[in-house]
Amino acid sequence: MSPGSLRSWLRSPDGRGLTLVSPPFIYAVLLLAAPLAAVAAFSFWTQNYLDLDRTFTIANYREVWTEPVYRVLMLRSLTVSALVTAVTVALAFPIAYFVSFRVEPARKPLWIFLITIPFWTSYLMRIFLWKVILGYNGVVNGSLLQLGIISEPLNFILYNVNAVVITLSHAWAPFAILPIFVALEKIDRSLLEAATDLGDGPLQRFFSITLPLAFPGIFAAALIVFIPTVGDYVTPRLVGGPSGLMISNMIELQFKKANNPPLGAALAVSAMFIVTAISLIFVRISRRYLRERA
Amino acid sequence: MNEMMIKLTSVTKSFGTVTALDGVTADIQAGEFFSLLGPSGCGKTTLLRTIAGFEEPDSGSIFIDGQPMRGVEANRRPTNMVFQSYAIFPHMSVAQNVGFGLRRRRLRPDELQRQIDDALRMVSLEGFGERAAHTLSGGQRQRVALARALIMRPKVLLLDEPLSALDKKLREQMQLELRQLQRAVGITFILVTHDQEEALTMSDRIAIMFEGQIAQLSTPQDLYMRPKSRQVADFIGSMNFLRAEILRRQADRIEVRIEGLGKVELAGDQASHNADDQPAAGVRPELLTILFDETDRAAREVEGEITGRSYFGDMTYYEARLDGASNAVTISMRNTSGRPVLDAGARIRVGWEADSIILL
Repeated sequence: MSPGSLRSWLRSPDGRGLTLVSPPFIYAVLLLAAPLAAVAAFSFWTQNYLDLDRTFTIANYREVWTEPVYRVLMLRSLTVSALVTAVTVALAFPIAYFVSFRVEPARKPLWIFLITIPFWTSYLMRIFLWKVILGYNGVVNGSLLQLGIISEPLNFILYNVNAVVITLSHAWAPFAILPIFVALEKIDRSLLEAATDLGDGPLQRFFSITLPLAFPGIFAAALIVFIPTVGDYVTPRLVGGPSGLMISNMIELQFKKANNPPLGAALAVSAMFIVTAISLIFVRISRRYLRERA
Repeated sequence: MNEMMIKLTSVTKSFGTVTALDGVTADIQAGEFFSLLGPSGCGKTTLLRTIAGFEEPDSGSIFIDGQPMRGVEANRRPTNMVFQSYAIFPHMSVAQNVGFGLRRRRLRPDELQRQIDDALRMVSLEGFGERAAHTLSGGQRQRVALARALIMRPKVLLLDEPLSALDKKLREQMQLELRQLQRAVGITFILVTHDQEEALTMSDRIAIMFEGQIAQLSTPQDLYMRPKSRQVADFIGSMNFLRAEILRRQADRIEVRIEGLGKVELAGDQASHNADDQPAAGVRPELLTILFDETDRAAREVEGEITGRSYFGDMTYYEARLDGASNAVTISMRNTSGRPVLDAGARIRVGWEADSIILL
């Protein structure tokens, strides 16, 4: 290609598009695709104390898919994520509904802004705050003791799965509120009047119009919360206790203390595979649901 | 036809500092095609929504079929509405949309289907039941909205500018169909529109609204021929206004001098109650006639000069100044064969009749 034709190609719509997209593309390849490829490669190797045996093997995967401990941790991760998703969406919906339907239009941006304020502090800070709130001598126990509702501190609210669910649900709330809010905002208010006009009371109207039309937002919220929480390891580590550990904690353990990166990599790839499969099934179901409704 | 369906008494409604309805009183008869006509912001839509129950009036009362409506929620009123946006439920099929209001009546499935089919046939949408609502065109949506409201057999059907989103051809066709449909079902229709032509062609009676008040409520013919105020005369069709002076007022005869037309004796009912001693004489553009031929004669003739024209295909609208008049007048003439199109500056003779004049 001559320099002249290269210059004219760079000015063409295709050339401009590629030039524009290439810096983030290179960035994504270096920081996303390359590490992923490295993890995938590791998962087929073997660690021999200090050196890495690079012969291809599926022994790691055999171990991952047969050892009960990994299955328990994986199932727990999925259960916790599913619970967090359900709790988050269930709590986010009323908030999104309130902002969309009850707040004056001019005040809505302010409300959305207020909802994001807790997320100005770091994730770690918020987890520690939850420790303070849920702890043995924490805010919840202190208040309940003081009120005489309980006679000794509750143990089941920290260092177990409950604490993980509470902390993660709070952490992901705005990510669920926003897509639901957007879906609710898009509902033409005359549809609600039409339903009323045709005899629906407020509750019937909610179930026949508002909720079905909010489903795209609810599905989006569920996916946005579910996918990253499966792999979360900071929250289970800090507030989960021994019974609240999840699959990512095991992956971390394999990479660091157990000095077995190939097994950790196989765990990571397997977890990714399972999350992808579940998400795809979920997308399928929601698409079919939306198409039937559309 | 004389049975009363809706009785509005001093209905008043404000939004903040804006008065949307300012003491509206009207009686609407059963089986009537009634229109609320007015410029945007005149309160006509608010009045419709007040009848539907979406707004509660600040004061005054609304009776539908003898029942007081204060405190009755919109979903319990014997009215149904066709919304301006049609408000077709996008997540449902046509049949589900049309049958929406019947869900609560617990009909047998075949009975429900029969009613939906009947309603779709009524609006010429047979076989559209299984279509998804979002695949419909604007005209089809409008028909679905109509079927969905009519299937409820309301005592009153409320239509909020239902034709404003359609193109001209379709709009004219739907005007005709709506009128026929209303005659066939015999339900009281209340139509909100800002289109005076639409109101004139479709309605039994029209209420013209300005600034939250009904300026005049009458039949289309009466509104057109006997407007009570200059505002009404100006809003319905177009009207030429010429300065006039009352010379003598008797019980049933009025003698006036009209600028450009001269002295004339009018019948008493040609003067509006609002007319004072210096009224305006109104005459419709089509009631002035340009006498093209030397041999054309009219009962009353005046002379003038063409100052401009607009050509509309079937009609030509001439701007003309009658000799001795300070205002220009518009004269509309049908374009028949052999009739010349006049240019500005042409001298004309204009024929007119005494009974086409009204004093406002």
